[in-house]
Amino acid sequence: MTNLIARGLSFSYGKELALNDVSLELKSGTLTALVGPNGAGKSTLLRLLQGQSLPEQGDIFLDQNPLGTHRHQVALMPQRSSINWNFPITVEALVSLGQVKSAKRSCCDTEASLQRVGLSALAKKRLDSLSGGQQQRALLAKTLSQKASVFLLDEPCAALDPPSRAQFLRLARQLAQAGLTVLVSSHDWGKALNAYDKVITLDKTVLAFGTPEDVQSKLQLINSMGNHCCG
Amino acid sequence: MALLVGMLCPATGALLITHRRLLQANLTSHAVVPGIVLGLAIGLDPAFGGVLSGLIGVLVAERLSLKRNAENEAVINTVLAGTLGLGVLLIPLLEIRVDLESILFGDLLAVGGIDLMRICLAAIVLLLVLKTSYQKLVYLGLDPDGAAASGLRISSLRLVLGFVTAIVVVSSMAAVGVVLVIGLLSAPALFGLYQAPSLYSAMIRSAGFGILFSSIGFLLAIAFNLSPGPLIACLCLLSLLVLGRFN
Repeated sequence: MTNLIARGLSFSYGKELALNDVSLELKSGTLTALVGPNGAGKSTLLRLLQGQSLPEQGDIFLDQNPLGTHRHQVALMPQRSSINWNFPITVEALVSLGQVKSAKRSCCDTEASLQRVGLSALAKKRLDSLSGGQQQRALLAKTLSQKASVFLLDEPCAALDPPSRAQFLRLARQLAQAGLTVLVSSHDWGKALNAYDKVITLDKTVLAFGTPEDVQSKLQLINSMGNHCCG
Repeated sequence: MALLVGMLCPATGALLITHRRLLQANLTSHAVVPGIVLGLAIGLDPAFGGVLSGLIGVLVAERLSLKRNAENEAVINTVLAGTLGLGVLLIPLLEIRVDLESILFGDLLAVGGIDLMRICLAAIVLLLVLKTSYQKLVYLGLDPDGAAASGLRISSLRLVLGFVTAIVVVSSMAAVGVVLVIGLLSAPALFGLYQAPSLYSAMIRSAGFGILFSSIGFLLAIAFNLSPGPLIACLCLLSLLVLGRFN
């Protein structure tokens, strides 16, 4: 049960500002969507929240503790495009990579993660023989085997058909119901946001943060003021 | 020697292909030349100089590529040509006698005990790297961002890969030459990777195909009194036609 809190995060790539004064709070047991247009800084924010990059300004805490010493509690599932799908590897070998930094590796953890995403029957299959939806679930199983309490999923539903997308979101919901903190970056707008408990709208800074209804009404206001970046 | 080179190069090639590092391997195979020439000039083991300059070539290319991300291939090929050019220029500048043709294209029929020792050393280095870092290398090849996120030292792992490549290239120099070695790194590995369930299995299969290629090449070279290196490279080319039908 871990709350993730970020305060005043800023980050730049050279002279280009990627994030400016981003603050948010992710409570345990909640499923939160992170939405925003391309280049809004979603992936950058996820990398900061996972501790892969350090913010130029601002702080990140897991409950009361600074992220630095508790990084292992945050797991990041990367975007589809960063995976080498032709790599010769079976599904179970992929999932076991989640424990590559663990002192003790257990085949039971791998099996449990595969069961959780419903891929036990495909454990011995080569990764590139799976469908897109199955591949995403295999990646999620790998992320789950890290035994973290906060899960950051970077566009897990990109390039998935609607049934696979719905199935993936059901899995994410089950994780939140199990008391984990889950943040899902997404390009889905409109009704798709109703599947989440909270929604963060990002465009280099947080434009709106709240329940899906709150955020949608705030976005309508923002759009009516001339900012058409979202929705 | 033919069997050892035929085994080691494709096994390393499978590792490099899965890490999308074959272009860097090609660069390494050319960047070893100035080090070999310098080693000969100052009386050092040319293999040592070759490994060092091969690594320097890769590091220079990576440093320049960071600044010109969109044109990585052009940068790598420019460094490749530049380092090879430097090696060729050093020969008259340092006034040394070097058989450039045997460095570039090899002479399997003239290999000695020291060449055999080098290839054995390269095999031991590869086995040690696999023994200590196999899981990490799999993670890096499959998902570099995820590997970085999990705290693996990506740049160190890539440096290790560069070192393995350089030592394999240099040790294969006597047999197939630093230019033709790229054929043995590539073609048998393509066969080995086909439907392989793991990197380990792909490397073993690639080594098997490599032994087949180099044995045939060596026997044909003896039968027709031809140079084995170019013959093996031509066999690699022909094998692609078979692979095309297979796929």
